[in-house]
Amino acid sequence: MLAYVIRRLLSTLIVMAIVGIFVFLLLHLSPGDPAAIIAGDNATPEQITGIRQRLGLEDPLPVQFLRWFGHIAQGDLGVSIFSNEPVLKLVGQRLEPTISLALTTLLIAVTLAVTLGVLAAWKADTWVDRLLMVVSVLGFSVPGFVVGYLLIYVFAIELRWLPVQGYTPIAEGVVPWARNLVLPSVTLGLAYVALIARITRASMLDVLAEDYIRTAKAKGVANQSMLLKHALKNAGVPIVTVIGIGVALLFSGVVITETVFNIPGIGRLVVDAIAKRDYPIIQGVILIFSGVYVLVNLIVDLSYTLIDPRIRY
Amino acid sequence: MNTRRQILKVGAAAGALIAAPSLVFAQPAPTRARTLRAVMHGDLAAFDPIWTTANMASYHGGLIYDTLFGIDSQNQPQPQMVQSFNLSDDKLTWTFVLRDGLRFSSGEPVTAKDCVASIRRWAVRDGGGQHMFRRVTDTPVVDEKTFRIVLREPYPLLLDWLGKAATNVCYIMREKEASTDPQTQITEYIGSGPFIYNRGESRQGARYVYDRNPNYVPRSEPASFMSGGKVARMDRIIMENMSDPQTQVSALQAGEIDFLEWPSLDLIDTLEKDRNIKIEVMNQSGTMGWCRLNHLHPPFNNVLARRAMLHLTHPTEIMKATFGNEKYFRACGSIFACNTPTENDANTDWFKAGQNIDRARQLFREAGYDGRPVVLLSASNVLHMTNAGLLYQQWLKAAGVNVELVTSDWGGVVARRANRNPPDQGGWNIFFTSASGAGYSNPVSLAGHASNGANAWFGWPTDERNEQLRDAWAAASTPEARMQAARAMQENAWNYVPHVHYGQWLAPSAYRANLTGMIGMPELVPFWNVGRAG
Repeated sequence: MLAYVIRRLLSTLIVMAIVGIFVFLLLHLSPGDPAAIIAGDNATPEQITGIRQRLGLEDPLPVQFLRWFGHIAQGDLGVSIFSNEPVLKLVGQRLEPTISLALTTLLIAVTLAVTLGVLAAWKADTWVDRLLMVVSVLGFSVPGFVVGYLLIYVFAIELRWLPVQGYTPIAEGVVPWARNLVLPSVTLGLAYVALIARITRASMLDVLAEDYIRTAKAKGVANQSMLLKHALKNAGVPIVTVIGIGVALLFSGVVITETVFNIPGIGRLVVDAIAKRDYPIIQGVILIFSGVYVLVNLIVDLSYTLIDPRIRY
Repeated sequence: MNTRRQILKVGAAAGALIAAPSLVFAQPAPTRARTLRAVMHGDLAAFDPIWTTANMASYHGGLIYDTLFGIDSQNQPQPQMVQSFNLSDDKLTWTFVLRDGLRFSSGEPVTAKDCVASIRRWAVRDGGGQHMFRRVTDTPVVDEKTFRIVLREPYPLLLDWLGKAATNVCYIMREKEASTDPQTQITEYIGSGPFIYNRGESRQGARYVYDRNPNYVPRSEPASFMSGGKVARMDRIIMENMSDPQTQVSALQAGEIDFLEWPSLDLIDTLEKDRNIKIEVMNQSGTMGWCRLNHLHPPFNNVLARRAMLHLTHPTEIMKATFGNEKYFRACGSIFACNTPTENDANTDWFKAGQNIDRARQLFREAGYDGRPVVLLSASNVLHMTNAGLLYQQWLKAAGVNVELVTSDWGGVVARRANRNPPDQGGWNIFFTSASGAGYSNPVSLAGHASNGANAWFGWPTDERNEQLRDAWAAASTPEARMQAARAMQENAWNYVPHVHYGQWLAPSAYRANLTGMIGMPELVPFWNVGRAG
């Protein structure tokens, strides 16, 4: 098990290195010049060249890459071209909102989706099942920003129950923190609910057709116990897998949700950086995202051993 | 059971980890009533208003720095940090004495050395400053509060440059920061203005917090544009970076923000119906849409092809497609923008006649246009540029021109426009951009008004007479003489056609109706003098 974890962690480094090279080349070979954006529209070409020289952007690409890679190897993600702030500090400032949004979304989505999926499987081929599946198709197909605007209009503008936008740190109170996260979490979680609910339903239907479930029913095991204790645990592996895969979905969803609800998280940081061609931020954040994604998948793989004791590494 | 407890422990630890940064930074904040929350047109990406010409950096500068002079609502420079000043009889030596009691927010007094260092750094980057410093021989410091600017020839624009509101503004910094290489950003933001930048409460890319400077001593005159008493009536100003237009409007309606600099015009009807919101055009000289031509390569290296562009351009179609409501745009034939001190109608018969595609086709033919593709650079993330690209493509085709429309985001356009190669080797023929009307009104400080060939702004036009007329405008000592020079410059410009305009728009701002004392002016949104009723 330990050897497996070490092997996977080493592979994480390789994945991050490949991502790093890819992102660096993609950014530097695509059109755009941060120096021109810094200098402003009224700047002369000479002023822009001066700024490029100061930023080291006039150096050959391999020189720029080796300089960046050297810093990365020392754990230094660099400094924002525009604000002069270290990328690690900027990411650190944005961690809390993004982690809060991701965790509350996961909590809401997984709880709701698994409940709906189990219910749909239990009531398979009835109107309950069909209704739940129609709702899940809708959840999957309506864009997040449309859901977000609708929720804002109803709950923030008309009813005035919740704030339109923004983020309150948890240190300023759990209630204001949660109030700010309700609408974005529901918005972001909707597609996730649809995905997990459908997988849960399918997986549960497979398990419910197994002989041991029929035996349990024959022995008179109560429905609740049969569904949750006997069936759900055995249907868990594909559900946990799809939750892990869904983390990537969450990353892309976070960008849109943070924009619509004005949450100062990592998604907005990277979108703003792309618009300005702030290379160190884009490269740093994508590296971190790739590392997190690989680690989440490792955790998912390890969790299989808890769900299914037959699985060993 | 053990597993459940472990999960709880891990959860508690994660919660503490999440909360830690906020606990460290948590500070008592002013009340909501004494706080103004504003959403501006963009993010404050860089903080040094000399290093960058970005307007957001200038807004930041306006809050925390002060200026020696400031323009008033009549565009006249008035003393601001300066107590008294005089010009020698030979008109070559200006002497300035600072007001008593001026202090930086760090507590140090503002000295003449700070002023001289700030002026010198500003003059390296600013077009007006560069023009002025070609005539400056020395900037001696006389004593703690007195300094001089010594010229080799009279220069009537000196006070205008020191007091102008358009970027780069001559903000006064400490000598320590002002000694930084102008090509390098400063890293400390200490000024002597009405507000102090609160770095601890700010989050890069999210919000920027400014607290009232308790040591600031405003002038006694009423506030007027950049001049007069800059009284901070709010304890805190927060500039929120909120990028989504719908969210901006919703937040303003819900009272979560107080001021929205540029609400989306698609949503302005919603705001106009809300009794709690006031809509106002703060900058009456607006923004000009600008079609820049590349003078280095065919067909626009021929003046006839450039003149064709004047007849090809419809004065309002792009504005109509972009802004819809005619309240917020107008046609403008002046090269110095309309509703500005230099607006005039010299040599504008082509404009008064309106769009004439047949005449444009004829001029392209006379220019010897050979059917080679004309490359248009269009930014797909800026609506007026997208529309300009599509409409110019249509008009050029109608005039018999072979068009290649190249779309990218604005970042892609700014990179490619610097390429001087022929269009088929990575260069270009036309790109679209915009500049403030107030910036346009100044023949010297706007880089785009220069036609000094290889040293000119992108497009690199050459016209010696234009350069002579710019100098004549700068040397004019009366408003009448300046207007005469401006008319001559426009007469000449619409003959050799450095570029073409496609309209002027007036972006309205929206703010909560209980705000009082908003100062509407070009180039800057001042938050001094603003209070809240009730």
